[in-house]
This record gives sequence, C-alpha cells and structure tokens, in this order.
Amino acid sequence: MRTTATLIKLLFKTWIRSKVSLFFGLAFPIMLLLVFGTIFGGASPPNYRLYVRNLDVDSSGSPGVLSEAFIQALNNSVFEVVPLKPEDPTPRSTGFAAVRVLTIPKGFTSNLLNMTIANRVDITADTIRRMVEMAGAQIPEQARANITASMQAFTAFKQTIPAERKTLVLEGSPDDRVLQPIEGIINVIASKFELALLNASSAVEVKTTYSQARQMRTVDYYLPGYTAAFIMTNGLIGVSSLVSDMKRSGVIKLLASTPVSKTSWIVSLVVVQTFAALLLTAVMLAVGWAVFRITALPDFFSLSVILLGTLAFTGFGVLIGGVLREAEAVTAVGNTLSFPMMFLSGAFWPMELMPPFLQEVAKFVPLYYFHVALRETLLVGSLATAILPTAVVAVMALLGISLAVLTTKWRDF
Amino acid sequence: MEAIVVEELTKKYGELTAVDRVSFKVSEGEVFSLLGPNGAGKTTTVEILECLRTPTSGDAFIKGLSVRDSSIVRRIKKIIGVLPQEFNAVGNLTVYENVELAAAAKQASDLKQVLEDLGLWEVRGRMFSKLSGGLKRRVGIAMALVGSPEIVFLDEPTTGLDPEARRETWLYIRRLKKQGSTVVLTTHYMEEAEKLSDRVAIIVKGRIAAEGEVKSLIARHGGKTKLLFEELDSRAAEMLRERGFEVEQRPSGRVVVRVGSDSEMFEVLTALRSMGYHVYPEIKQAGLEDVFLSVIGSKLSNTGELT
Ligand SMILES: Nc1ncnc2c1ncn2[C@@H]1O[C@H](COP(=O)(O)OP(=O)(O)O)[C@@H](O)[C@H]1O
Ligand SMILES: [Mg+2]
Repeated sequence: MRTTATLIKLLFKTWIRSKVSLFFGLAFPIMLLLVFGTIFGGASPPNYRLYVRNLDVDSSGSPGVLSEAFIQALNNSVFEVVPLKPEDPTPRSTGFAAVRVLTIPKGFTSNLLNMTIANRVDITADTIRRMVEMAGAQIPEQARANITASMQAFTAFKQTIPAERKTLVLEGSPDDRVLQPIEGIINVIASKFELALLNASSAVEVKTTYSQARQMRTVDYYLPGYTAAFIMTNGLIGVSSLVSDMKRSGVIKLLASTPVSKTSWIVSLVVVQTFAALLLTAVMLAVGWAVFRITALPDFFSLSVILLGTLAFTGFGVLIGGVLREAEAVTAVGNTLSFPMMFLSGAFWPMELMPPFLQEVAKFVPLYYFHVALRETLLVGSLATAILPTAVVAVMALLGISLAVLTTKWRDF
Repeated sequence: MEAIVVEELTKKYGELTAVDRVSFKVSEGEVFSLLGPNGAGKTTTVEILECLRTPTSGDAFIKGLSVRDSSIVRRIKKIIGVLPQEFNAVGNLTVYENVELAAAAKQASDLKQVLEDLGLWEVRGRMFSKLSGGLKRRVGIAMALVGSPEIVFLDEPTTGLDPEARRETWLYIRRLKKQGSTVVLTTHYMEEAEKLSDRVAIIVKGRIAAEGEVKSLIARHGGKTKLLFEELDSRAAEMLRERGFEVEQRPSGRVVVRVGSDSEMFEVLTALRSMGYHVYPEIKQAGLEDVFLSVIGSKLSNTGELT
C-alpha cells in the first residue's frame, strides 16, 4: 500500500513536471475552450456592469436622497453598479468588456420631488374636475364656481413649482449590442421609481419563468467535448510514451526485479491519470464558470463517466506503450489514433454541423461515447440519455484495462 | 553456502540459442564476472537469475530458491538488487526521488544511507536528466543497492563511462564486496573483470569457454610473462636462444622473450649483462587478455566486439 502510494506520488511528479503533458493535459484544452467558446459561443458573456456618475450632490458632496435610492434600485436589478465620482473620467474599454456610463444630472433629487408634486397637483386637480363634472347638477352652482376658482389657484400654484424634465445620459459604444436593451431596462426602472414616488402601483407585471428544456449553448457543447478529448490524449499519447520511455530506459525492468507487482504499477498509472483527468475537469469547469457562466458541478454520475473514460484510455495507452518497441512508433500510433478521433467523434464541434455521413462515422469512434456520456451527465443532467453511451464507455474501460494487464510484461520482455 | 547455482541453463529465442547449457556457481561474498563479447548471452543469463526471463531448460537457484518456481519469485526478488544494462533512471525526477522509487519498490528504509555511501547526498535535489554520465550510472547503482540486497547484479556497469567514472564505479563495487555482498558483474572489459572479480566465466556464443579464479585462469591459459626489448641485436637473441630461452624476433625490431618464472627472468637479464648488454625490458605479465586469446582464439575490442 505504501509502495503504491509512493509510486503514485512519483508518477504524479513526472506528470506535472512534463511540459508536454501539462500542455496537452491542461493548457491546450483551456485555450481551445476560450478561443472557440468565444468565437462560436454566441454572445459574449452577459456583462451588465454599469458605471454610474452621480452629479446630483449637494455642496458638501453628499448625494441626493432620490439619486441614491435610484442607484440602489438599479443595483437591485440586473446591473452591477460601479459608482464614479463626478470628476472621474469615463473608464476606457479594455476591449473585452463593454463600458457603459449612466450620468445622473445635477438636481435630480429636487427635480424629481418637484415633478412628483406637480404631477400630484395635476392628478388631484384633474380628478376633482372630473368628479365635479360627473356630479353635475347635484352640486349647487355657487359651490361649482368656488371649486373651479380654487382649481385655478391650484393650477397657478403648480406653475410656481420649478419642475423640468431632467435627462439621464447613458453613454456606451456603438458596437455594444446590448446598449439598447440596457436603456430599456433603465427606462423601466425609472418608471417604476416614479410610480413608487406617486404611491401608485403598476397594473402590468412581467414574470419570467424558465422552461424545462435548457438551451445548449455552443460552449456547453465544447466543455465536455474538450475535456473528454484531452482525457483521451492524456492516455493515448501521454501514458503510452511514458510507458515506452520507462520500458526503454530500464525503469520497468528494475521495478520488475523488485517485489512490486505489475498490478501496483498499473493501478498507480491509473490513479495518476484519474488525478489528471479530475484536475482537467475542474479547471475546465472553473474557466467555463468564470468566462462563460457555465454552472455545472460534477456529480456521482459524471465522476463515474470520467473515471471510466480514464480507465479506458489509460488502458489503451499502456497497451500501445507496452506492445510497440520504437519510441517513434509509439508517438505515431498515439497521434494517429487521437487526432482523427477528436475530429470524427464530434467532440470538437456539434454533431449537427457535420455531414450526415460523418455523423454515422462518429458512432464508430470510441471518443464519441465518452464525450456524449460526459455531456449528458455533466451538463444536461439526464441519466436516461446518458445510460447507453456510459455503458459503451464502461465496456471500453473493461477492455482497456484487460489489455493493459495482458500486455504489460513483468517478465520475458 | 553457494549464493547462486546455475545448472545446464539454456535459453532459446526461436531458432537462436542465446544461452547454451551454462553451469556455474557463485559463493557468498564473491565477485563473479561474466566476461564476453556483445551478444554472448551475458544479459540473458543474468536476467534469468533476476527472474526477468524464463529459461527454456535447465535451472538456477538463488540461495537455494529455484527461479523456475513462480510461487517463490517474490522471495528471490526480496534479496536481489539489479542494475539493468544501459539503465537510465527517470529523467524528470531528482536523484533522491529516483532512489526513493527503488526504495519504495523494495520497501527499503536505507535510502539516506545509500545516497550518502555513494556520494549522492549532496546532489540529491538535482534532476536526473541534468546529471553527467558518471553520476547517472551512480544513481542506477544506488537504485540497485538500496534495500541492502544480499546479491547484486550489475549488467555492464561501466560501459559508456569515461575512465575516471569507470574507476569510481570500481571503487563502489570493491566496497560492496567488503560489506559482504555477493556481486554478479557482466562486462566486456578485460581489465575490469581482472581487477574486480574473484572468479570469472568467459562466455562466448552462449557457452562458457573457461571459468575459474582469475589467477588460476591466467596460470592455466595465460602463458608466460613477456620481456619486451625495444632494441636487441640478432647476436644477443641468438645467444638467448642457445641457452634455451623462448625468443621471438618481431619485424618491428622488437625482441620478445617469454619466461615462466621470476628466476628465469633474472637469468635472462644476468646473461645479457654478462655479454655487455645493459638493456631494460618492458615486463608484461600475462593477463585475462592472454587467457581470452588462447581460449577463444581472438581478441576482444574495447567496444565489446571480437576481432
Ligand atoms: N528478447 C530477445 N529476443 C530475441 N533475441 C534476443 C533477445 N534478447 C537477446 N537476444 C539475442 O540473444 C543473444 C544474446 O543476447 P544478450 O544476452 O543480450 O547478450 P550480451 O548481454 O552478452 O550482449 C544475442 O544474439 C541477442 O541478439
Ligand atoms: Mg548485455
């Protein structure tokens, strides 16, 4: 047991120190995810950061009550509000995230208050006028004249309220495709705000509900596809060359001359590859979450699929490294198996994009079942559709490990 | 007790008989060398002893345990240490980690001791791939020695090393013997076999051509001591011949006189002096080279080829 633990530790060190395995095992898949996820992944990740420059401050620099409340309302909506001081310059776009600045004009609070009072006066006067009209002859002539006179005084009072429309200025890039929707959202929030000030409630409300069927974005497709593909190359290219190197250098011979069993050796290889696969999955999910807001967490089933896939391709890697003598042959076979599989299996692009003929071919590619099983369990969370591909991967795992055990020679090399 | 007993060991690779009815014994605490050219069957023989190859027929016993009996292979593996031919440790592990690998495999606890003994403690943190050839080989030897095996197999431990590194390796092998280990060495270097071994088996084409203690092999097959005279005229040569000495006049002008003992050598020199020849010959004692030449009929080059 301790022997195997040390073996695992040392094999892991060689893995983590090998530039090739780190590149193919981590860096390359992440680069692919970022590049293709961004190019084909549809809209850039939703970013509703909103800079707000509040000019509505009093002489001491403290913001007006209503502008502050309005900013609060914005922040409680979809926006992530970043306050700007009046004298702050407009932030420059870094090229990745669009910059949008909302400027709240000076006098926003007092103006809004005045506007609200003016509106209330209007509404009140209007209401009274209508009621008087409806009452008609029931109200004595004299009283009606009085009311009309006081209404005139009322309206005259309204004229004295210094209310003018103030404009919120939204500043953004002409390339920003979501600038208009954002203006719409701000408008809605402003209206609700005004309604609230009038103590009125809105008659129309929108409630969004999510349908059961999740729409798959292209990145959702790439993430499990790349993860599966590179777990495969880790095995077919990484493990095979490691095994063949150690065979040629005599390390396996030396190990075979000690009491260590062949099983410990294969178990160690599998454990290290499982570590590597989990690490890759974790990093891919982390990048997927950070950049594309993919919020998948592996559960028991997706972890099982990862383990089975790792077993299968580690097994095949051990087989290739064990059977072939020349280092060049090992690399050649590893590459010629891996690369066509990546492209033919549909791991790299949605199957629907492939010609029907190739879609059929994909079903004969082992990687196909692995990435489909991983996608179904990891992102779709659908066991029903995962069961068949998972079964195929399980059979591959059994086959791979059996072949690895059969072809790893601890004697008569 | 015998550490190793080999009986009529034969290994065939298809049509080729790589090891042909080989028998020998190695006593405990002895350094035993298999000396022979490339392809003689040295590696095949030791790998059978290391339980890494299955013999076609015959048997070998390590401390009385048969290498054919798969149920006791583990017991054999627990008492042997192996340096495979042309061994290279793992390139991107350090010296320490590589020896740790072997120590883990053998469940040994003398890792630090071995590193110190072989002068590797100071360089334990260096990556194997960055080491010089001599240090690399020493790491391999450390991996063989960790766990203090009773029997150590070193397959061509100095091939490819520069003279200095080779001498260093010899030092460690001598120390091993002092510590009481049994060492089986394969080599194609005459000098190495002669200097290090108690007993040597000369193996060619899978067969043992001669076997025994180095001294007795030389006495039996090596022939006489040679006195090499750079310049000696025909008259002197003639005179020595008349007195019954074995004289050979080479086309280069050199004269070689073969003597069977030190007193005979003394006689040659006094005879020459009495005739006024004050010459000092180069004395070449017979060695394994001569044994090899007389037993096999050809020489063994530095690269391990028969010439
Ligand atoms: N695995 C093998 N398969 C076939 N022939 C082999 C194998 N290993 C060695 N041989 C052949 O057996 C002979 C003896 O080889 P070997 O034991 O390596 O000799 P040495 O170690 O003395 O150089 C050589 O002719 C070699 O080509
Ligand atoms: Mg050899």
